[in-house]
Amino acid sequence: MGKQATEMLKGTLEGIVLAILSDRPAYGYEITAWLREQGFSDIAEGTVYALLVRVEQRGLVDVEKVPSEKGPPRKVYSLNARGREYLEEFWRTWSFLAERLEQLREGGK
Amino acid sequence: MAAGSNEPKSRYLQYLEIVTGSLEDKKRYRQYKARIKRLPANYRTAVEALERYLMHFGPADGAGAMAMYEDLADLFEQSAADGTPIRDVFGEDPVEFVEAFMANYPAGQYRARERNRFTSAVARAAGEDAGEDTAGEDRTVR
Repeated sequence: MGKQATEMLKGTLEGIVLAILSDRPAYGYEITAWLREQGFSDIAEGTVYALLVRVEQRGLVDVEKVPSEKGPPRKVYSLNARGREYLEEFWRTWSFLAERLEQLREGGK
Repeated sequence: MAAGSNEPKSRYLQYLEIVTGSLEDKKRYRQYKARIKRLPANYRTAVEALERYLMHFGPADGAGAMAMYEDLADLFEQSAADGTPIRDVFGEDPVEFVEAFMANYPAGQYRARERNRFTSAVARAAGEDAGEDTAGEDRTVR
């Protein structure tokens, strides 16, 4: 993953993670693993964790502690109503941005 | 105050804590340290380096800082249990991770004060000072 991709990902990671959680509840490790599979290979587990702490503090997700076979109980995150609203706003912002950038590219030809 | 008991503190304890700092926070910090001690050696080394960074730049005081340390311990206990390599936890740029992490907790008094002072200085320079007194506490600190 190039430097440019990493920089762009920073601004969208929150929306990406909420979008993943809108599909089904997940814990941190699963989210990071999924992102890596999708080609976001540089993503740090710690960065995803920091983001999950943030969205939890802001009340966008609900958290349930589930016992685990190995290690401490896992925190399973699921998107709540507020998170859903926030995600909708994220997609609207994204559409706006993508549209404008596409216009810019077309104009440059 | 700190998580844990909601009982009002005795006057004696209130005075004592002026001298010693919050005893509840001290206890939480000791518990955190014990959790870190139980991690595999390479995780422990990495966490101790992270702590050093946090001591300089992170929230230094009170319950906010304790919540931060406890969240850290959660992360590393989980990572150690999953066998996640150190590099995968910290990423290529560990500073980026630690800054994203730290941003979740109230800045230490010193940083918060300087941020407020800076923000209100710009507001004054921009002529936006009238009426609003959000920066009030700041001007008293000279």
